[in-house]
This record gives sequence, structure tokens and C-alpha cells, in this order.
Amino acid sequence: MIRKAQLIGVVAALALVAAACSPATTTSSSTTTAATTPTTQAPVATTTTEGTTPIEDKVLIIGTTDAISSLDGSDAYAVHDWELLKNIGEGLLVWEPGSGDKLKPGAAQDFGTFSDDGLSYTIKLKPGLVFGDGTPLTAQAYADQINERLLVLEGSGGVGPALGQPYVASVEALDDVTVKFNLTGTWGFFEQLLAGAPYIPLNPTQFPAGSSAALVEFPDAPIYGNGPFYIDSYVLGEQTVLKPNPNYQGDRVPHVGTVIIRYFGNPQAMAEAVQAGEIDVAWRILGPELLAQLEGSDLHVETISGGAIRYLILNHAAGFVTADPNVNKALASLIDRDDLSDRVFGGFVEPLYSPVPPGFLGATDVFDDVYGSPNVDAAKAFLAASGYTADNPLQLQVAYPPEHYGGTVADAMQVLKEQFEASGAIQVELVAQEWSTYIGAVIGGADYSVSLLGWFYDYPDPDNYISPFVSNGGLGTMITDPDTNAGINATAQEIVDLMAEAASSGDQTERAALYDEIQKLYADLVVTLPMWFEAEHVVYRDGVSGDAAFGSLDQLNIGGTIEFNYATVSVD
Amino acid sequence: MHPLTITFLILGVPALAALVYIYARGSSALRRYVTTRILLTLPMILILASVVFFVLRVLPGDPVTSSLGPKGSPEVKEQLRENLGLNDPILVQYVRFLGDIVTLDFGNAMTSGQRPIADELGERFPATIELIVPSAILALSIGLLFGTAAALRRKRASDYSMRLYSVVIYAMPVFWLGLIFQLIFGVRLGWLPTGGRIDAVIGSGLPRVTNILTIDSILAGDWQAFGSTMSHLVLPTLTLGLILSGVFLRLTRINVIEVSQEDYIAAARARGIKEFVVRYKHSLKNAMIPVITLIGLQVAILLGGAVLTETVFSWPGMGRYLVDRISSRDFTAVQSSVAMFAMFVALISLAVDILYSLLDPRVKY
Repeated sequence: MIRKAQLIGVVAALALVAAACSPATTTSSSTTTAATTPTTQAPVATTTTEGTTPIEDKVLIIGTTDAISSLDGSDAYAVHDWELLKNIGEGLLVWEPGSGDKLKPGAAQDFGTFSDDGLSYTIKLKPGLVFGDGTPLTAQAYADQINERLLVLEGSGGVGPALGQPYVASVEALDDVTVKFNLTGTWGFFEQLLAGAPYIPLNPTQFPAGSSAALVEFPDAPIYGNGPFYIDSYVLGEQTVLKPNPNYQGDRVPHVGTVIIRYFGNPQAMAEAVQAGEIDVAWRILGPELLAQLEGSDLHVETISGGAIRYLILNHAAGFVTADPNVNKALASLIDRDDLSDRVFGGFVEPLYSPVPPGFLGATDVFDDVYGSPNVDAAKAFLAASGYTADNPLQLQVAYPPEHYGGTVADAMQVLKEQFEASGAIQVELVAQEWSTYIGAVIGGADYSVSLLGWFYDYPDPDNYISPFVSNGGLGTMITDPDTNAGINATAQEIVDLMAEAASSGDQTERAALYDEIQKLYADLVVTLPMWFEAEHVVYRDGVSGDAAFGSLDQLNIGGTIEFNYATVSVD
Repeated sequence: MHPLTITFLILGVPALAALVYIYARGSSALRRYVTTRILLTLPMILILASVVFFVLRVLPGDPVTSSLGPKGSPEVKEQLRENLGLNDPILVQYVRFLGDIVTLDFGNAMTSGQRPIADELGERFPATIELIVPSAILALSIGLLFGTAAALRRKRASDYSMRLYSVVIYAMPVFWLGLIFQLIFGVRLGWLPTGGRIDAVIGSGLPRVTNILTIDSILAGDWQAFGSTMSHLVLPTLTLGLILSGVFLRLTRINVIEVSQEDYIAAARARGIKEFVVRYKHSLKNAMIPVITLIGLQVAILLGGAVLTETVFSWPGMGRYLVDRISSRDFTAVQSSVAMFAMFVALISLAVDILYSLLDPRVKY
């Protein structure tokens, strides 16, 4: 009897399950992830063929360990968010694909012009621009976007305004195509800012301005911009599907009919997927061991000089051992960056001797020039001057987040400990702290003497590599007052003043000279201790190639700006 | 219908059917027991969720600093704290949280775009269910089959080898076994995909209804997608299922041995009942009772194993979600995920208890 009843129960259960999962519910799928059935297939931008496969049938699958944090240009800050925004949108000015420093007009007809006093910048959009869904892109729509979204939406927690408010007071539309930026000051790097994701035109149908303006981090797909692709669908943590934008009018013409970004939970899984041929390209972020392993296979492993730097924050606030200039100079003299690069990273990172990485305006090797690399005798002298000897060693805590910057960071910190202790007058205690606790403690400037941080620029200019560590507490360096921005001493104040002067100059030669001077002062004060800058690496299989129209084919036209333009890549 | 609702329906309907049966046909003592069991489940979930709520707030770090990192201005951070309700008194936050749990709304996440948590769980929870159900079936199947076989061949070479297997496999780290499988079957032999839930191209065209992709592909009549989801399930299921099979194997073996030495088994044989019936009806059925109890206990371990398996195989389920959100101190997302886990475990435990009572007539309540 019981068995019969059990059977009836199971049958009833199965019937209910079948009813719950009936096809009638198909239309009520999850919304924001929008893994919807493609209802309308926009025509591809080109119907020619490359090789034997029609372009519209070609699929490029790119793997990444990044994730989507926000697709609203008024808010997005993460590298992968910017990458997607720059592939579905096109800024007024853009970086030449494959280049590290070459700006060119994108949605604009030409470069704009600064007013004589440098307080405004006028630029013309190309006439007749439309977004992928046919919505016109006018100067007024663009001005509304900047005025009513980028410059005001910080109340919602968006971080994009950090690249808007300090520099732009307002934007005017002078006619259908002419946009005038009224600036808060004279900014020597304004055109570089303009090439950033926050200034990319947003489709007002999905990102409204005016009274209904609000952050839309995860809009429903399809998401149409004015760039070479649109986002057809996306499932967070799984994949994003891009298709060519039928209304795109720029020069980044897609060579494939579909781009799929696959998200991986860890670098090892991504490395295996590219080895197994499940993805065509592995892009960000593979550690040195995996890169070395992949280099031995038949895959292409290419290096792109990147902008991500790693450095030690030295807390100059009173009460910390690093308030003592001699201690800081000793640490600067003891660090052996080549040793770090070779032993920990197998040469996959480059030693960094200035807060400004090589290749950027005015970059020098100032820490090498001033302190050597290393100079243990000089370090001992600095320490002895402050009373630290083998009998009375300096007790130094060095904090770091063990996971946030990859597993090799822990190894790097061990090597660093060895290097500091080679002086015989320092005893280092390494403190590993989980990121969400760590970052607040570092910036607060009340917990650590020495701590590891990383930085990736928002705009490729020396200002963005120095200013954050100087201004308003300097992310824990505390060389300025967090509220008043006043320097803690004459050198700090001089840096602050010179930074303001360099930022406002429109003369790049003059700016380079100023940054040269600033770097000398920075090294003298040892505001931070630059350690290495990380090149990015792209791994791809045979049959994937870069568009010959652009500069760096082997690197799939990913230039020093670390922008991966999917349109400039072809696949068999 | 929301994918989360569908998932709960799929999981809940069998339990509901059993409940209906018990209330219709069960003894009054059984009905009373089940009612008590259900009523006890509610405070269990409440206590667990409350502990997580307060522990998260005691821990250093908060979602605002964690998500904005070094690049958010103090003003932006303060405004975001206000918007997220983090400046409210903790009791106000707690009451709000309880309200979200009761309504199964769960509120909005505190990081990653502050999406509705119900939507996020609707994507992630079905993925985990899709992983752990076949893993549990595999673990149980191996455990029962080989455990019984080992018991019946006691002290022979096959018994020793199966006991050795159970110890070795249980001691093996999930991530290591997963990695080995990936390297052998994915990279070296190229037989199976190394990760993900479905082929990227095929998956881009599959309508998501339940977010359990095997079911979605059947609903869509897309057999290519079904094949792809099944092939993607093989390695993670093997990894998780094999690891857990060891404990089932040992438990089945020892129980079958114990039961086979009972007097009623000897009596059955003495009465000339066929050996097959003695072994598989009388012995195995009774030996199953502790194994079924273990299933309920193993569900929580299964979910823990799924965290590692999902990471190794880039499986976008609850495990990866929870780890990410704990790292970013997303209070509401973590609280809601734990509540979901608790509800799931409670549901399975309840189902196991009911099954237990049905299987073993000696059990009195």
C-alpha cells in the first residue's frame, strides 16, 4: 500500500514539475541578465568573406577572469567594463588601436580647440551619427548626458564622476553637432580624459538624462551604443555576446559576426580552456607560472606593456616609523627590483623606478638614479643615522592583501622581506589582510606603516600616476592633509604646487619638465616606493590575427592603453 | 515565472507530494512529528540567518570601501553608505532584513550594481542545483553498488580494493581531482570541456527559463544544447560525486555486513527464500536506512564541495557567488545566500526524515 502511494506521489510530483517547466513560461525569463532568444538579428557591418567562412558566421571567443561590474559609463570604473563600453561605444576622441599614446578623432570630425584662456574646449561630432537602434546622437543629447548623468549622479554611488566633476563644469550644445565643454580649469590632459569611457556617448533610450536620470549598471540587452558592436545578451559570470552594430560609422570594422566573452572563475581554468581550444583568446589575467607553461605550447603568448603598477605606500603620518625620512630612504635603497622580477615573476614584470611608468610623458628612472638598485651600504647609513643597527633593529610591519593582486604577491612580499632584512638592521613582519578590510585600513592611514597597493591609470598621463598619492591624504601616504590638501612639509607642499602647475599647462614640453622635477621631489620624500609594472599578456591560438590596418598585429592590436578592440581581430 | 520559483517548485514538489500523502494517510503521530519538524525548521533558518547578519557586521570591512577601493571619494562613499542603509541603526537593518526574508524578496545587493538578489539567486542557485543533484546521484549510486558488492565479497581482494578506494577518494582534495580531470580529459585527450556550463556559441542562443540548462535545452527542443550541457556536466559531476561516494560506500558496506548477520536474515535463508531476495530486499533495504540519514547530512557537505568545484570548473553557481560576495562584504547578498542554503538543507532534511519514517515502520514519533 505504501509503495503504491509512493508511486502516486512521485507521478504527481513529476506532473507538477512538468507543468512548472512548460514552454508557456518561456517569455518570463530573468530580466537584467537578458539571456534572451535573439529576436532580431541586425545585419553585420560587412558581408565580405575572409578565407572560406563568411564573416557573419565567424565567432571569436575571448576568455577572461574579469567580471562585469557596471555597464553604465557614468559609473563604470573596472578595466573590463571600460573595454566593453569602448567596443559598444566610440568616444569623441579615441586611442588608435594598437598604439599606446596616439589619440585620434572617433565620433568627432576632428580634434577640438581650446579657447585662448584654456577654460573651454569645443569639438564637433560627425554629422548624422546614430546609435545601433537608430536613436540619433546629437550634440544636445551628448551635452545632456554629461550634464545630467556624469556630473551629477555621484549620489547613487557611481565613481565615474571622479573623472568628470573635477574637470568639467558644464557642457553646451552650440548646434546639432558642436559641443562645448566649459572646464573648471586649464587641464593639459583633457583630451586624454575625453577618450575615457565616462565620456563615451550613451544611448538616451537606455541611459536617460534629465529628471529620470539614474545609474543603470545592468541594462536589459540588447545594449546599443555608437561603437562597432552592440551587446546582444549577457549572463553575469557566464558570458557576454556581442554582434556588429549595423549603424556603426567608424573605422573599426568588425571581422567576425559574433564575439563571445566567456568569464572564468580562475586563471588556471582559462589557461586550460585556451589549450583545449574552447576559447580563441585568453585575455587578462594569467600569472607567470601559467604564462611560462603556455609559452611552451603551440599557442601565441604576447606581451603588451601595460599601465598597472605595484608599489608600497609609506605612511608619513606622525607615529609611524615611516614618518622618519631616513627609514624611507633606507627602504628605497634596499629594494632590488630586478631580483623581484626574476625570482618571483620569471621576468614577466618590469622593474619600476618611478611612480610614472616608462613610456609616459616625462617618465624617468629617478629611484634608480637617487638610491641605486640596491645599495645596501647606503641603506645601513640611513638607518644608522636614525639609530637603527643590528643591535637595535627597526621593527617594520609590511601589510599586503594575499589574494587581490594574485597569488604571486605573497611570494613577492617574502622576497621583499629578505631584501629589507639584508641590511641587518631591519626586522620585517609581513601582515596578510583580506582585501575588504585591508583597503579601508590603507586609505585611512591609521593602521599600517608600509602597505602594498596597485594602480591602473584612468587616463594615460603622469598626473594620474602621481596625483592620487599626493592629494588629500594620498591614499594613505598622508603627505598631505586629507581635508585641506596642505603638504606635511615643504617638499610635500612643493609637490602639490608643481602638480597643480603641471596639470594646468597645455604645453607638453613644459609639463614634461615639471614632472621631471616632481619625480625628483617624490623620490626624495619617498612618497611611495615603486616596485614593478605589470605588462599584460594575451594568449591566442593559430588562426587568430590582428587587422593589418592597425599597429600591433602580434598583440592583436592591443596597445599600451590596454584597450582590446574586438573589431580589429579576425579568426579563421 | 521567476527561475528561483521554478527551482523551488522542482525541489519542493516531491516534498509537497510526500506531505500531502502523510497528512492524508499517515498516522496522527506521524502528522504531529512532521508538523513539529516543519515548525522547527523556521527558527533554525532564522537563527542561522541572524547569526550571519550580525557576524558580517562585526567583521572589519564594509561593502562600500571594498567595492570602490582606492578610487572613490569620501563624499561618494558616504552617500553610498546612506543609500544602502548602512547608516541606519543595526536593529533597523535587522528588521528590514527579516522582512526581506519573510517576503522572499531578499532586497537588493549592496555591490555589483545593487541588483535584486532574487534575480541573482535565480541565475546562480539553479546552476548549483544542476551540479549537485547529479553529483549526489552519482555518489549514492557508486556508494550503494560498490558498498553492497564489497560487503558481499567481504575480506576478498575486491573488498579491500573498494575500501581502499573509499578512503583515498574521500581524502582527495576536490580542486586537485578536478584539475587532474581537466588536464587529462579536457586538455590532453580533448574529450570533454574543461569548464563552463554550456558551449559558448550554443549557449548564446538558448532561452533561459529555469536556468537549469539541461531542462532549458529540453524545453527548447534543442538537443545540441542538451548534449553540450550534459558534456559540460560530466567532469564537475565526476569530481564532486566521486569525492562523496567514498563515505556512502563505507557506510553501505558496514551496514550491509551488520544487517546480513541479523537473525531475521538467517531466518529468511532458513525458510528457503531466494538469496537474491534476501540480499536486495531484506538486507539492502534495511541497510539503506542509515544511508538515507546520511544523505540529509551530506547535502550541506555537498554544497561546500560545490563551492570548490564551481571555482575549478568556472561554474557560475552559488558557491562562486558566495565567495565573491563575502570578499566584497556584500551583506545582503551573503545573508540571502545563506538563508537560501539553509532553506535548501532544511527542505532536504525534512524530505529525508519523511522518507525515513516511510521506509522504517519501527520508527515511532
